Amino acid sequence: MNASVFARSALRAAATSRTAVPVSVRGLASVATSQTAPATPETKKPLMKKFQVYRWNPDEPEKKPYMQEYELDLNQTGPMFLDALIRMKNEVDPTLTFRRSCREGICGSCAMNIEGTNTLACLCRIDRDTSKVAKIYPLPHTYVVKDLVPDLTQFYKQYKSIKPYLQRKDAPTPMKENLQSIADRKKLDGMYECILCACCSTSCPSYWWNSSEYLGPAVLMQSYRWIADSRDQFTEERKAALDNEMSLYRCHTIMNCARTCPKGLNPGLAIAKIKKELAFGSS
Amino acid sequence: MSMLRTGLRAAPKARVFSTTATRAILPAGPQVIDGTVNDAAKIPETNPTHGSYHWSFERLISVALVPLTVAPFAAGSLHPITDAVLGATLVMHSHIGFQNCIVDYIPHRKYPKSLKAAKWALNGATAVVLYGLYEFETNDVGITEACKRIWKA
Amino acid sequence: MSLSRSSIRAAAKFSVRPSALLLPRAAVCQTRSAATTTKTSDAEAYSLLVEQRKKRPIAPHLSIYEPQLTWYMSAANRVTGVALAGSFYLFGISYALSPYIGFHVESAAIAGAFATLPLAAKMAVKATFATPFVYHSMNGLRHLTWDTARQLTIKGVYRTGYAVLAATAVGSVYLSFFV
Repeated sequence: MNASVFARSALRAAATSRTAVPVSVRGLASVATSQTAPATPETKKPLMKKFQVYRWNPDEPEKKPYMQEYELDLNQTGPMFLDALIRMKNEVDPTLTFRRSCREGICGSCAMNIEGTNTLACLCRIDRDTSKVAKIYPLPHTYVVKDLVPDLTQFYKQYKSIKPYLQRKDAPTPMKENLQSIADRKKLDGMYECILCACCSTSCPSYWWNSSEYLGPAVLMQSYRWIADSRDQFTEERKAALDNEMSLYRCHTIMNCARTCPKGLNPGLAIAKIKKELAFGSS
Repeated sequence: MSMLRTGLRAAPKARVFSTTATRAILPAGPQVIDGTVNDAAKIPETNPTHGSYHWSFERLISVALVPLTVAPFAAGSLHPITDAVLGATLVMHSHIGFQNCIVDYIPHRKYPKSLKAAKWALNGATAVVLYGLYEFETNDVGITEACKRIWKA
Repeated sequence: MSLSRSSIRAAAKFSVRPSALLLPRAAVCQTRSAATTTKTSDAEAYSLLVEQRKKRPIAPHLSIYEPQLTWYMSAANRVTGVALAGSFYLFGISYALSPYIGFHVESAAIAGAFATLPLAAKMAVKATFATPFVYHSMNGLRHLTWDTARQLTIKGVYRTGYAVLAATAVGSVYLSFFV
């Protein structure tokens, strides 16, 4: 007996008694639910929760930003704030605008201020306590493009200014990688994971007041990611670029950055290490 | 039609957001972006005097204040010279602190003149305070002793 | 082993297809009206962007950010610092100018005036100076620790934060009421 015969017989078995074969089936979501929808969601008591969302429309610029209230049944909504936002947009108000992409905390698009702290909407669970109204704002002290969409141009320009790529003084040896010891590689842990969602930078009061010149936690941590990289040969130049009144030293170790990071990273510690290296030479 | 059934509803009332309407703290002003979106932000010139040297000096002053503050509590009072050193260190510490506030809260790009004026006003104030402290140290009883006498009065 | 895996894969493939095929064509397709667009040059688009930027509001910040130990203690550090340094500067300047404008800020004069206050007022005045002084000193030590890159984790920040608050409570009560 060869494999194809087995496969064919298994196929037949699956066709006749589909429920007996333990397979994970992923069809079109709407079709699957309409065909096999169990009655449970209908019988569950609705759990109505109020949401207030920051709204501003660039087509009516003279109209002041306002908070719009939406109410949805949590029993029919996914667990995260992004699920709620998508439902609001799909089913109630298609003009509601926000960024989203991966829905699993790796793209950083849905960064916003939810119930007072900056986080990714896709990683933030909705509090099932319906007595409290959940408030959603754009990232604090950013210029608003529309509703929950902030303009991050300055943030990206600052990221570009720290030259976030490997710089070498010697010409690369053909067919050779730039090798690194395991210990040196370990120094980059906790920094390379940053997804540049800008949650930390926009949680930093210093960055609120001086974002035109102060680089902010996210960009400074990425700067240190290259300063700490043993393969990079422009360490001194990178440090010199930060050695001025504004770029680095507007950090007053407030630590909102580490408190808010949705990836659990610690930009404040990275900045402290830059300051230490600038004061005492490389450690 | 099916909105109520799906448990979704947009409330008609909309609250105007209050804090932007009244006076704002440190207003940011209209958005200004230098160059196109593809240009990197400008890197300021290297200036350790206002960068790393300044930071190290700031820490040095703060560290020096630790024994100078503890000593009068431990010893009861200070030698006039130590007291004068404490006074001078406190003035420097205060001056740097005020400087930080000025740089933090008066944006250079929006109010370059106010920033300069504030910095010079601070320098002037510090000079007067230093003179006043010199007079106080030479004609009066010194900082720690004065604090003690007032506290026990 | 490999037998069961291949059969599962085949079954999965099979079981999806029919349901998709059952759908009427119209239900799958989305209809979209053709968007009307106007052509703009790069320069026009850029000037439009610049115009739009000028009208953008700034997202709310201080008023909506959640009160947290991190930035509240940092703000308190600055406020207490400015209050202490401000009163220190006020004293220094008035002492420097006292001969010219007839102020009496000699230590004896201040101590004399202070002595006339009732006990409760004395304690209140002491507390208003002692609390910021102890807080700023203790938090200063916390900052110096951080500058060596120690205790600079969220755990460390909170641990040291509560320690500073406790020390401030004890220290300021002692200085205000027992000295």
